[in-house]
Amino acid sequence: MPSSTSSSSRQTAADRPGVAQPVPVRDIPEHRWLPILLGALLLATALIGGWEWHWRNFGAIPSIRDDAALWARERGRIDHGEGDATVLIGASRTFFDVQLPVWEKLSGRRPIQLALNGTSPTTELESLADDPNFKGRLLVGVAPDVFFSGYEYMGDFFKAYGKQSPSDKVGKWLSMHFVEPYLAFYDPDFALFTVIKRQDWPLRKGMEGGTEVRKLTQVDANRNNYMWPKLVNDPQYRALARSIWSEDFGGPPPTAAELLDSKKTLYLQIARNTAAVARLKARGITVVYVREPSNGDYLAFETRVFPRKEGWDELMAHVQVPGIYYDDYPQLRSGYELPEWSHMSRESAERYTRELYGILQGKYPPADGSRW
Amino acid sequence: MVFNTLTFAAFFLIVVLVHSLPLPWKQRKINLLIFSYVFYAAWNPPFILLLWISTVVDWYAAQGLVRAERQSARRAWMLLSVIANLGMLLYFKYGTFLLHNFAALAGAFGVHYSPPPFDIVLPVGISFYTFATMSYTLDVYLRRALPARNFLDYALFVTFFPHLVAGPIMRPTELVPQFETPRRATMQQLCFGLGLMTVGLFNKVVLADTFLSNAAERVFDGGKAPGFLDGWFGTLAFSGQIFCDFAGYSTTAIGAALCLGFCMPDNFRFPYAAVGFSDFWRRWHITLSSWLRDYLYIPLGGNRHGPLRLNLALMGTMLLGGLWHGANWTFVVWGGLHGTYLIAERRIRAFFSGYRPGPFALFGLGLLTYALVNLTWVFFRAKDFTIAWQVLRGMVGMNAAAKPILATVYIAVVATIIPLLVAIHWYMRNRTLESALARVPPLVIGVAWGLMIFLIVISQGAGNAFIYFQF
Repeated sequence: MPSSTSSSSRQTAADRPGVAQPVPVRDIPEHRWLPILLGALLLATALIGGWEWHWRNFGAIPSIRDDAALWARERGRIDHGEGDATVLIGASRTFFDVQLPVWEKLSGRRPIQLALNGTSPTTELESLADDPNFKGRLLVGVAPDVFFSGYEYMGDFFKAYGKQSPSDKVGKWLSMHFVEPYLAFYDPDFALFTVIKRQDWPLRKGMEGGTEVRKLTQVDANRNNYMWPKLVNDPQYRALARSIWSEDFGGPPPTAAELLDSKKTLYLQIARNTAAVARLKARGITVVYVREPSNGDYLAFETRVFPRKEGWDELMAHVQVPGIYYDDYPQLRSGYELPEWSHMSRESAERYTRELYGILQGKYPPADGSRW
Repeated sequence: MVFNTLTFAAFFLIVVLVHSLPLPWKQRKINLLIFSYVFYAAWNPPFILLLWISTVVDWYAAQGLVRAERQSARRAWMLLSVIANLGMLLYFKYGTFLLHNFAALAGAFGVHYSPPPFDIVLPVGISFYTFATMSYTLDVYLRRALPARNFLDYALFVTFFPHLVAGPIMRPTELVPQFETPRRATMQQLCFGLGLMTVGLFNKVVLADTFLSNAAERVFDGGKAPGFLDGWFGTLAFSGQIFCDFAGYSTTAIGAALCLGFCMPDNFRFPYAAVGFSDFWRRWHITLSSWLRDYLYIPLGGNRHGPLRLNLALMGTMLLGGLWHGANWTFVVWGGLHGTYLIAERRIRAFFSGYRPGPFALFGLGLLTYALVNLTWVFFRAKDFTIAWQVLRGMVGMNAAAKPILATVYIAVVATIIPLLVAIHWYMRNRTLESALARVPPLVIGVAWGLMIFLIVISQGAGNAFIYFQF
């Protein structure tokens, strides 16, 4: 293999029709490549170090990436020997507000956290209802706007379950052990294009603006999630998070047709839940719905668009299983810190978990005598 | 296993280390074979069986070809290979497509036929390795090459992981001889191979996935009719994305092979600097276009039987080449458009046979070629004809009521990257990467290399599969 300066007229198969193609020749440009490689690695390391320093200064902390592979690992526990565990499904409030270590202390066993940000739990509820491996207890979190609209921001996770290749699984394992616990910048919120996209670009004429939700979470290897401390400690960032939610609270009132559509969707979600819960009950599985707290402008929006009477009460009337509405319980109602009106700070979530667990175990103990 | 994943990084490190151990050559080849199977199985282990079937059938078909004395027996062995390989391809890749088209055809004659569900997974890279193994028996049949001397070298030619799932589509004569003598990369080859892998991954992770894919996705998958600007920017973004994705894969594959001491051929030669479509196809996916030329176009008659037969052979080759990319009529139209371009170009060239364009005219013709190639990308990228027409209407300004789709950031990114990409292709038009790098000071190369690694890392690619994996 020659190591000479490359010829600019190197031939390819395109130049040799209808003949056996010879062994290709790849020339190496005349440089000393080892020092170049070492220099490049040195520069890349310095730049990556600078990038890491920048994001740590911003408040970033290494976190496990909550991706489809991590969710699938947790979901897989049900199908691989832990089908009798307590399973949590819901949207982001179930994800933020229930602290698994606290729950584990109270119950002796860590529940399986399957709640997904911005995603209705109904599809997963149906999946568990049809999964004979699931024999445990089920807590279904209800965030009215997500739950009754059937919105599935991370619905791809459900579809990806069971389809992970061995390579995907190994990749996630490597990442969880060698990358994610050490690099704070390795977070979708700090990815190159996300950073570029968030600059102050002028809005094209005729185009509606809209700000994407910013980083709110810190996740561990068991999918225990708590609020990113920056949201609690940085008033400016908190204000930004609130303003992003507020973008959804305004807008013109719905037209009659939109109202009818949203009612249809709401009843469809209730019907899907009713059918799935009936199947779970028939298998003797304890199911409890929980409406987690919200406050401020978010609560006002939810009360306006999904009033309790039309949403929660209607759901409870159909599914015929216990439900815990935070407002009905003094210990769940007040004293919690929700920096952006929707999710609890870590300290609040720990207290809330204790109170919620107390209600569940005290008032709705599992029929089989086990603990939640 | 995808090149742009941590799994591959770990896998490749182990392969390079094991390959450099002082073991007998035969043992090192066996190691490479096992690693290549692991590489393939890491995606879906049961499909290794298909790879084995393809390998074994062609091995025995070639042996039979050598032993056969009568032409009819030789033809039978050749047909066995072609039918086995194309049969697998038809079943796994085109089964659903054929059934649905059969149902539609029956419906046109008033016969209601509802095909049974045919929900099968397409084995990754099947189009690539079936073509590679077929070229083995076809070369022996056409007496262009002798069969491999031993099964290990042949099996490694089929399975060698750098080219296995998305090419370059290797010919046996290019790779089998390399397995006959011991090879280990020199330090220069190892370092330069790593450099090529960095360039390839930069193309894939940073340019294709991070910067260009979003704009194309919003225009083609967003469900809205684009206006003039969005239609063009979405299509231009895709033109860059598909090049950076696929050329990125090829460059990474070539680099990976070089790190182990093996040479693979170029698969791209700066195609967006092509002037005319015959030039384009000498620069784009070279190993496929030359495969189709050698095993389809020439046997169909090529240019040996007059213009009509030539045009039919050209069009037939391009239509089948289109279908090779996917079981959808949009790909057939894509191939048909290229066939039409090639036929038209031949006529135009014959009409202006004495014309030699100056530099500006050449550049203008190059841009015209690029614009026409972009029109074909619309059919390649659109999931169906409704979307394709919607985008094409936008590109000619016929979606008057269209609302903007792409935010300013996407417009800015495409407007920066695509002209740069085309300019680089023009600068490199008659050069190779190696010849250009030989003239660049080492310090500049080192800085560019370091920056590329940095950008790859901070892009945080999600390990997206390469577009050509689906083919």
